[in-house]
Amino acid sequence: MSVSCLHFSSQLLLLLSFHRHVNTISENTTSITEPRVETPAPKTPPLAPLIPTQTAQRNVLLTGENHTEEIEVVNPVVLNLECIWPGNGKRLPNITGYWTKDGQTIETSYSNIQLENDLYRLIREFTIMNEDDLGNYSCLFGPKAKVKFIVAAPHLGEVRDKPIVSYVGDSVVMVCKMDEKKPQPISWNWYIQNGTNKVQIESDSNAHKYKITKDGNKTKLLVYNLTESDSGVYYCGAVYAVAISMGYMQLRVITYYEPLKPFMGILAEVVILVAVILLYEKIGSRKHGESAGTEENKDETNNLSHRDNDVAVAHSSTRQRKV
Amino acid sequence: TVRAPGEDPDGGWGWVLVAAFFVCNSLIYGLMRVFGIFFVEFVQYFEESAQAISWISSIGVATQQSTGAALGNAYGARVVVMAGGLLAGLGLILASQATSLFHLYLSMGVMSGLGWGLIFSPMMATVIAHFTRRRTLALGVSLSSIGLSAFAFNPLFQMLKEMYTWRGALLISGALSFNIIPCGALIQPKKPSLAAERLSVLFERPYITYVIAASLFNAGYFVPYFHLVAHSRQVGFSEYQAAFVLSAAGATDILGRIFSGWFSDLGHFRLIHLLAVWTALTGLSILLLPVSSLTALYPALMVVSSVYGFCSGALTSLVFAVLPQIVGVSRVMGALGLFQMIESGAGLIGTPLSGFLRDITGDYVASFMMAGSCLILGSLTLGTLPHFFSCTLRNILNTVAIKTKHGPNEQRAT
Repeated sequence: MSVSCLHFSSQLLLLLSFHRHVNTISENTTSITEPRVETPAPKTPPLAPLIPTQTAQRNVLLTGENHTEEIEVVNPVVLNLECIWPGNGKRLPNITGYWTKDGQTIETSYSNIQLENDLYRLIREFTIMNEDDLGNYSCLFGPKAKVKFIVAAPHLGEVRDKPIVSYVGDSVVMVCKMDEKKPQPISWNWYIQNGTNKVQIESDSNAHKYKITKDGNKTKLLVYNLTESDSGVYYCGAVYAVAISMGYMQLRVITYYEPLKPFMGILAEVVILVAVILLYEKIGSRKHGESAGTEENKDETNNLSHRDNDVAVAHSSTRQRKV
Repeated sequence: TVRAPGEDPDGGWGWVLVAAFFVCNSLIYGLMRVFGIFFVEFVQYFEESAQAISWISSIGVATQQSTGAALGNAYGARVVVMAGGLLAGLGLILASQATSLFHLYLSMGVMSGLGWGLIFSPMMATVIAHFTRRRTLALGVSLSSIGLSAFAFNPLFQMLKEMYTWRGALLISGALSFNIIPCGALIQPKKPSLAAERLSVLFERPYITYVIAASLFNAGYFVPYFHLVAHSRQVGFSEYQAAFVLSAAGATDILGRIFSGWFSDLGHFRLIHLLAVWTALTGLSILLLPVSSLTALYPALMVVSSVYGFCSGALTSLVFAVLPQIVGVSRVMGALGLFQMIESGAGLIGTPLSGFLRDITGDYVASFMMAGSCLILGSLTLGTLPHFFSCTLRNILNTVAIKTKHGPNEQRAT
């Protein structure tokens, strides 16, 4: 309910500014210049102020056939996007241009573009208020040329692709970081995946289980007394005025039995090896004991002294070598 | 196998012991090098500073060097090595259960360090005793495992860390360390008939000279390994290039150990001469390192780094092989312990000193100069050993044999 009021009042503002493509609106109608492509239930509470105070401009001169531009949005803003295309040499006097959002054509955006000074120009204003307004906006010159604007909240940098592993009864730390060069979020939230929903983790009501620390562009979630049911997907959300930017990580809780299996295997191998060596020796010494008596002991000590004097004069006949 | 009297032990069971020593080395030093992977985990889990965490390895190294072969002399190498394997493994298993950093100091540092100390020296002394003609090659092959195992264990431990976290990985490495026990069991049980006369060795001039030379080697030897990457980056090379420079040195190190072992045993030159040459070359290459990197030519740096790796590996095989020639095989066990203690002390001084030089001069040139000079100085010190300039060993051993013939508890017969 409040969302459509929001949009209505923002359109009123647009009407007051000298916008070229605005159609006349009567105050009672709820039809608006930019028919929303989708009307899902709002996922984020309207944190934005009712009237967006910022405006931003992006102009792109298209040199080839395709171009992609990334726009980072932190607060609600009115985006003025302009695409300029020098044509493909055919120099048609006018072509059809239009805009799409997330692949869906914005019906009311069709327009005839005149060739002025050897350039085709497409310009349009978009109001970015909340998460639903974020997405890929593209301007298209006929079927020939396209510029894509990716309008998004700041992305979380390092996404850990391998699951975090921890043991039952142990505790684990999960960290989310926003790049220092990017704007700092207002706050951080943590969510746990429950079926298809994301459930926000309240650390106050579960102080013995969860602890959330928020430190500017870094946040930590500590989970204590892990159980196997704590395994799953966790989300950290960087809260900005316009939307919450999500990162996710997977937690796997294992019991000690897991590493114990290879451990026992190696232990068994060691015991077997030692037993084999000792047995072999016992058998060998028994054989030698029968045939050579105490010969072996005598040889051992003799060899010891021989090694020292490998070039001693007494044995020079058998070994002549430089060392 | 019963050997006929008068025959040198060479090959046969000796090679089995070489294999055992190879395995022990990889399980000690390979694991030690790989624990760098757990460093970050420890910092995060225990919420301690990087310096506090690095004390674990410092304690481990210090404990290891100070135990040495003292016990090997008294109880026989076999029992000591097996006990060492048990201790080392237990230390790591206990470490996997640690709930505070102090637990890690005690388990990984003291207990495992103690275990490792009980393994290396007796094992080395045993291998030395089993070879004469091929001694250096045997040592070269056994010591090459240190470099090779770091290569192999790195991906293995990454995988273990991801599957079982550091706790599980430590538990499994404890079990792996137990494999040292069967290695020790392969040593023939020998009644140690030699009296522990270690301290008498300390006062002999050749031994003292050799220890001084080895200490000088050690002071400079590790400096490039510590600072090469940082120095390369400071000169302007990328992270990958710098890491690759060190990897090149590590790879040629393995080659150098084995080559030097094989070459020395061909018998064309005296071991002590070869050692002097390799250490001088190592010192020279360290001196050339800052020169080559300052030209900002990457190939030049790679070449010098590879030469350094090769020469430093080559000298490692020889350093231990020469020891029995100085003190006699019968006293190697005891001499080795003292030798290691003193030379590793020099190493502990050398590296911080190089860091200090870097801090006051702003770059690594002075540190490398110091390290290279230490090695060259050590090489020159070798020249002061008695009969250095004689071409055969025959004269020396005769002289030594005659001198100590009437000494206390003399075991050698002429």
